[in-house]
Amino acid sequence: MIVSLVLTIAIAFGSLATTLSLGWGPKLGLDLAGGLSVVYKPVTPTSKANMQEVVQILTNRVNGLGVSGAQVNLQGKNVVVSVPGVTDARKVLALVGETAQLLFRPVLCQVTEAKKVYKYSGTLPACGATYALTESNLAVTPAPNTAAGYNWDSSIQPDPKYADVATTTPIDDVKNKSVILPVLGSKGVRYLLGPAQMTGQSIGKAYAQIDTAGAWVVNYTLTSKGSPLWDKVANENFHQELAIELDGVIQSAPLIQPTQATFSSFGGQGEISGSFTEGSAKNLAIAMEFGALPVRLQALTTQTVSPTLGHSALVAGLGAGLVGLALVLLYTILYYRALGLVIVLGLSVTAALLWAIISALGHTAFAPSFDLAGVTGLIVSIGITVDSYIVYFERLKDEARAGRSIRTSVDRGFRSAWRTVLAADTVSLLAAVLLYLIAVGDVRGFAFFLGLSTLMDVFITWYFTRPLVILLGRRGSQSTSALSMAAGLSSGVHE
Amino acid sequence: MSDVTKAPGRFGRLYRGLTTVDFVGRRKVWFTISIVIILVGLGSLSIRGFNLGIDFKGGSSWEVLAPKTSVSAVTHSVEKAGLSSPIVEKLGSDTYQVTADLNAFSAAKQLSVTTDVVNALAKVANVNPNQVSTSSVGPTWGGQITNRALEALIVFFIAVVAYISIRFEPKMAIAAFVAMVHDLLVTVGVYSLFGFQITPDTVIAILTILGYSLYDTVVVFDRVRDNAGGVLKSGDITYGEMVNLSMNQTLARSINTSLVAILPVLAVLLVGADLLGATTLQNYGLALFVGLTSGAYSSIFIASPLLAWMKEREPRFRDLAERVAQRSDHRILSPATAALLTGDGAQRTVGVARSTRTSTVSPRARKQKRR
Repeated sequence: MIVSLVLTIAIAFGSLATTLSLGWGPKLGLDLAGGLSVVYKPVTPTSKANMQEVVQILTNRVNGLGVSGAQVNLQGKNVVVSVPGVTDARKVLALVGETAQLLFRPVLCQVTEAKKVYKYSGTLPACGATYALTESNLAVTPAPNTAAGYNWDSSIQPDPKYADVATTTPIDDVKNKSVILPVLGSKGVRYLLGPAQMTGQSIGKAYAQIDTAGAWVVNYTLTSKGSPLWDKVANENFHQELAIELDGVIQSAPLIQPTQATFSSFGGQGEISGSFTEGSAKNLAIAMEFGALPVRLQALTTQTVSPTLGHSALVAGLGAGLVGLALVLLYTILYYRALGLVIVLGLSVTAALLWAIISALGHTAFAPSFDLAGVTGLIVSIGITVDSYIVYFERLKDEARAGRSIRTSVDRGFRSAWRTVLAADTVSLLAAVLLYLIAVGDVRGFAFFLGLSTLMDVFITWYFTRPLVILLGRRGSQSTSALSMAAGLSSGVHE
Repeated sequence: MSDVTKAPGRFGRLYRGLTTVDFVGRRKVWFTISIVIILVGLGSLSIRGFNLGIDFKGGSSWEVLAPKTSVSAVTHSVEKAGLSSPIVEKLGSDTYQVTADLNAFSAAKQLSVTTDVVNALAKVANVNPNQVSTSSVGPTWGGQITNRALEALIVFFIAVVAYISIRFEPKMAIAAFVAMVHDLLVTVGVYSLFGFQITPDTVIAILTILGYSLYDTVVVFDRVRDNAGGVLKSGDITYGEMVNLSMNQTLARSINTSLVAILPVLAVLLVGADLLGATTLQNYGLALFVGLTSGAYSSIFIASPLLAWMKEREPRFRDLAERVAQRSDHRILSPATAALLTGDGAQRTVGVARSTRTSTVSPRARKQKRR
C-alpha cells in the first residue's frame, strides 16, 4: 500500500516536473491563443476519398502560408481549418478562401531558374525582346502534315534577367499583378505571367478523354457568360501561350489554336491536347472544373479571435477554475476536517498528473487542443472527482456509526464506495465518449477533457485515496493523533 | 429521534445521520412542483420560443476589447460602417460585442462589410484591426450542430437505459430516464422563460447535465440496491421505506456533491463570465448551473420516489407492505439506527469476507452483494 501511494505521488509530480522542465505546455485552442477557424462544408455530397483530398490540399495551402500549428481535420462531413496564434488572422483567411480559384494568365516569357533568391519588391521588369513569347516571335503556322499539326519557333531561350528573382509567394500572388510561377511537373521551369484575364468561374465542365489518335486530352465547356469572355481572351492570345494557374503552380500552358490560321470562335467548348498521361489529364480536368479542390466548399462558420481577447479568456477560465477549486476545498475542509486534507492532497496529485498528461498530449496530433470548452470540462470534473471522496467518506461514517472500529471501517467503506464510484464514473465516461464520437466542434474538446479526468478519478481513487486513507486508519486505531481519521468521524460515532 | 436529549440542528442531524425526511411519502408534492415548473416552461416555449444565438440563425458578430468607449459610440460607428440594425452589447467590464445578420448580402459584400466594421471598431477602440475578433455563421451551421447533438442525445439515452438495466434493473433505468427528461425539460423551460440566449455551447452543456444528473441518480440507486439485499430482507420495512432510508443515508452525500459541483460552476458564471467577460464561459456556466440544480433535485425528489412507487406495485412488495403495516413495533429508521441494526450481523460478514477474499463462493446462504 505504501508502495502504491509513494509510486503514485512520484509518478504524478515526476511527470509534472518533467513536462515543466521540458517547457511543454498544453496546445492552446484558438479561443485562448487567438487565431482563425473556418468550417467548410461540401456543396454537394461527396465521397470520403474526395474529402481526404480536400484536407490534403487545404493543409498544403495553409502550411504554404508559413504559419505554425495549423490544423486541417475532417469532422463528420465537414472540413475544419484552424490556425491558432496568428496575429493577422483575416489575411490568412482571405488567402485560404481565395486561392481556390483557377486563373488564366498570358505567358510573357520563360525565365531561368532562380539562383540567388531574394524577394522582388515593386513591379517585375518586362521580358527582353528576344525572349518574349509574342505572336511574332513564336511564329506559329499550321502544318497539317506534321505530327503536332503545326510548326513554331522552339529556339526561344529563357530570359536570364530574372535569375535573382524568387518565385512569387502565395501572399504576393494577386490576380491583377504579374507573377513568376513554376510549371507543374517540370523542375526548374518558370514562366513570367501577366495579370489574370479570366478565372475558373467561366469553365463549366472539364473531363479527360482519349482522342481519335489515342492520346489523352482534356475537353471542357464554358458557361454562358464565360463563352464570350473566353473567345475574347483566346483572340487576344491567338497563337500564344495561355497559362492555367492554380495555387501558385502553372497546371498547363497551351498554345491557343496553333492548327488554325485565323482566330475562330470556340462556340462554348474547347480541347487541350499535348503530352498528357491519364493521370495528368484527369488532374487538369479536376483543377479546371473545381479549382483546387475536387468539390466546391462553402464556409459554414468563420471565426477569428484576437490574441488579446484570447488571452483575457484564458485568464478568465483559469481564474474561474482556481476560485471554484478554492471554494470546494474550503467547503470540504470545513465539513470533513482532517479528511478534507486527504481531498486537498488527492486533488493536487490529480491536478499534477492531469497537467502533465495534457501538456504531453499537446505534443501529439491526437488530442484536441485545449480550448475554453476544455477548461469548462475540467472545471466540471472537479465536482466528479471530489464526489468520489464524498461517497467514500460518507460510507466511512456509516460504518463507524454501525460501531465498527476505524480500522475495519476504512476497508469496508472503501469496498462499497469503490463499486459506487465505478458505476457512477462509467456513466460519466459513457457520456464523454459518446459526445466525443458523435458531436462536432468545441464539444469534442469538452468531452475529451471530461473523459480524461473521469479516468483519472478512477485511477487516483484506487492507487492514491485507498492506500492513504487505509494507512491513516491504521495509525488512527493505534494513536489518537489529531490528524487521524477520528477528527472527521468522531461526532458521528457516539451519540 | 425522541431519545436524543439535546436535539441537534438541521445541519447537525444531517452530519450525524439522524435525518428521517419522508421523500417517498410526499412524492405527490414533489411531482406537482416539477410538473408546474415544466408546464410554465413549456407554456413560455410555445408563446415566446427560444432566444437563439447567431449560430442557429446565421449572422455575424464582432468583439473588441475597448476600455474607453460606450455602447452608443460603438453603435454609431458600426452603423456608419454599413450595418443596418446591429445589436451592441457590453460583455464583462470592457469587451464590446456587435451582432448583425449579413446573410442577405452577397458573399463579396459580406466580406467588405465585415472588413469595414472591423476597421470602424478598431478606430473606436483605438487599437489595431488585428485586435478585433470576428465570427460569421451561415444559416445552416446551427442546424447541423443541433442535429448532431440530438443524435448524441438519443444514443446516450439508449446506452444509459441499457447500462442501468443490466447493472441495476429495468425499473431503475426507467426512473433515471424520467429524471433525465425532467432535467432536460426544466432547463429548456428556464431558458425560454428568462430569454437566455441558446448557443451551441448551451447544447453541449445540457448534454453534460444529463450525464451528471444520471451520475447523481446512480449513486442513490447503488445504495438502494445495497439495502434491497440487506435491510429489506429483514422484513421490517416496506420497499418505499427502504428507498426512503437509502435517500436519507445518501442525503449528506447528495447535498455535498451537489454543492461541490455547483460551486465551481458558480465561479465560472460569476468570476469567469461576469467579471472577466468570457462569453463562452457564460454560456456554459448558465446552462450548467440551471441543469445541475435541477439534476440534484431530480435525483432526490423525482427518480427515487418514482422508483419506490413503481416497485410497490409489484405483488411481492405489496404483500410486504401489508405485513409491515400489521406489525405494532413498526418505526421509521434513520441512517444511524439502520447502521446499528445491521451492525452486528455485518460484523461477522466482515470476518468471512476477509478470509475468502479470493474465493468466488460465499459461504453464507444470504446473498451478499459486497464483492
